Amino acid sequence: MANESTLVKDGAVAAETLADPAWIRIRDLIYQVSGIYQAENKFYLLVGRATKRMQVVGARTPREYLDFLTARPNRDAEMRNLLNEITIGETCLFRSLPQIDALRKVVIPSLAEAKKKLAFTKLRFWSAGCSTGEEPYTLAMIMLEETQAALKGWTFEVVATDLNDRSVAKAQEGVYNDYAVRNVPPEFMKKYFTKAGSEFRVADSVRSHITFSRLNMLDDSKMLFMRGLDVIFCCNVLIYFDGKSKTRTIQHFYNALLPNGYFFLGHSESLHGISEKFRLVHFPGATAYWKTTEPVAKAGTT
Amino acid sequence: MKTENIDRLRAKIVRIDAMPAIPVILRPLLRCMDQPVEDVDMERIVELVSYDKSIAAQCVRMANSALFMRSSPAESVRSAVMSLGMWRIRDLLFSNSLSQVIPANRWVVDPVVFWKHSLGVALVCRKFADMIEFPDPEKAYLAGLLHDIGVLVNCMVVPEEFRAAMEKASREHIPLDEAEQATLGFTHCDSGRVLADAWKMPADVADAIQLHHQIGDPERGGPLVALVHLSDLLCRMRDLGYGYYEPRQIDFANEPGWLYLVMKFPGMAEIDLARFTFSLDEYAREVGELVATVFAS
Repeated sequence: MANESTLVKDGAVAAETLADPAWIRIRDLIYQVSGIYQAENKFYLLVGRATKRMQVVGARTPREYLDFLTARPNRDAEMRNLLNEITIGETCLFRSLPQIDALRKVVIPSLAEAKKKLAFTKLRFWSAGCSTGEEPYTLAMIMLEETQAALKGWTFEVVATDLNDRSVAKAQEGVYNDYAVRNVPPEFMKKYFTKAGSEFRVADSVRSHITFSRLNMLDDSKMLFMRGLDVIFCCNVLIYFDGKSKTRTIQHFYNALLPNGYFFLGHSESLHGISEKFRLVHFPGATAYWKTTEPVAKAGTT
Repeated sequence: MKTENIDRLRAKIVRIDAMPAIPVILRPLLRCMDQPVEDVDMERIVELVSYDKSIAAQCVRMANSALFMRSSPAESVRSAVMSLGMWRIRDLLFSNSLSQVIPANRWVVDPVVFWKHSLGVALVCRKFADMIEFPDPEKAYLAGLLHDIGVLVNCMVVPEEFRAAMEKASREHIPLDEAEQATLGFTHCDSGRVLADAWKMPADVADAIQLHHQIGDPERGGPLVALVHLSDLLCRMRDLGYGYYEPRQIDFANEPGWLYLVMKFPGMAEIDLARFTFSLDEYAREVGELVATVFAS
């Protein structure tokens, strides 16, 4: 059993623990398998969470735990457990402010401009792997704000799907505790939530823009029906897929998007060479994958 | 900027007494940097550091900071220099001596934001250069560090107009050079070029200073300009920018600088840009630590 006192002091990870080169290898392995990158300034998070798994499996050192992830018979299961631990508690409303800023300040205005030329005034979003609904509600609230300001006269729809029936049911309820709403700006709290005991209930005006349903992303026959979307969010879901399923799902996402549509992953998640079709684009503090018909310019022609 | 405008700007800058003078420590330092790492004389660096009481004190303070996790405190300048290593000493010397160019009350931009950006671009340039096997990563670092030196010139020479340009940029969320062009009729790239020439900086570094926003035909500036241009963009997209939100989408695969480097360096094909981008968050700590050391009073 790992001795917790040597790893975690006063809630912080001791500096000498972070310096163990085995962590770098574990970090790189996680990236290779899932596309999730743990920057060195966030290492204490990785170490803190992996330490929990080390205690469960009885690994004494990161080097030994690396064996559990690479050499032991149930290594795939252990990797899933570790990924679970790493992405746990990541779900809350308004989770990634840089993504929200990119959406409101760059993506939505540019999509709207392109669609307006074609006389379209509707935007469609898909929250794929919506878990307990935090993401689709966030999207709907943002769009409600936009349609009262720059996008007056526009309509929108948020499609929210998850594999887990219980998550979908919980999402439909739209009731959250104060931890889940900790990032919600006060003006949104006032406008879009009502107090329900110690919890907060999302207003029906938000709910009416969202359709919740159960969907297995590995079910090709169902995925084929998803079409005509402008923006897809799929955060921390693909990390659990093997290479082949990942490639297939990304292809479905690509087909589901309209030209110029955007595909967002989790904050430090990447496609890591899975798809050549999407183009990685940068916004301040966020990245996304873009379905563009624009070819890459030949060197020297721009 | 047109040549005649550059000449006019040059005349204006040279006439003004406020033209920044090259810091004493910088010339020998630039000479030190011009040789391969293995030829650098650490004793000479210790000597350089000892010249300046405030820089020496900063080195000791930084060597003892949390970043280096020493087991016993560094007390002498020599042990501090050894512990920091040559590159961090150089960072300290550069940022400190360049900061001395401007009196504290003349900064129009926040010096902390300015140095975070400059050091961030320097680190990214070197990392980028390493990844594509650019032959001189330290030159890339130097060009990154100095690329915005024209901002210092503008603070000294046209403080009021430059303040207006900064305000316009952050109010309208536009790139600084665009705001400068509208307000001043020239940019920090132009004034940086004039300073680089006056200080006799290497020609390719001077080109990087001048062309990092308007790379135009990448053949003209060569790979160093492209490296600085892309590193500057990456930093601005990763919280190491000018301190205001730039609402824009950057498609690196379509940037002329990127396409140019793809043509020149086979290593470009191997770059995992997403991973590179995420790893930039690691620099934030290093850069923050360094800047805090320079600006701790």
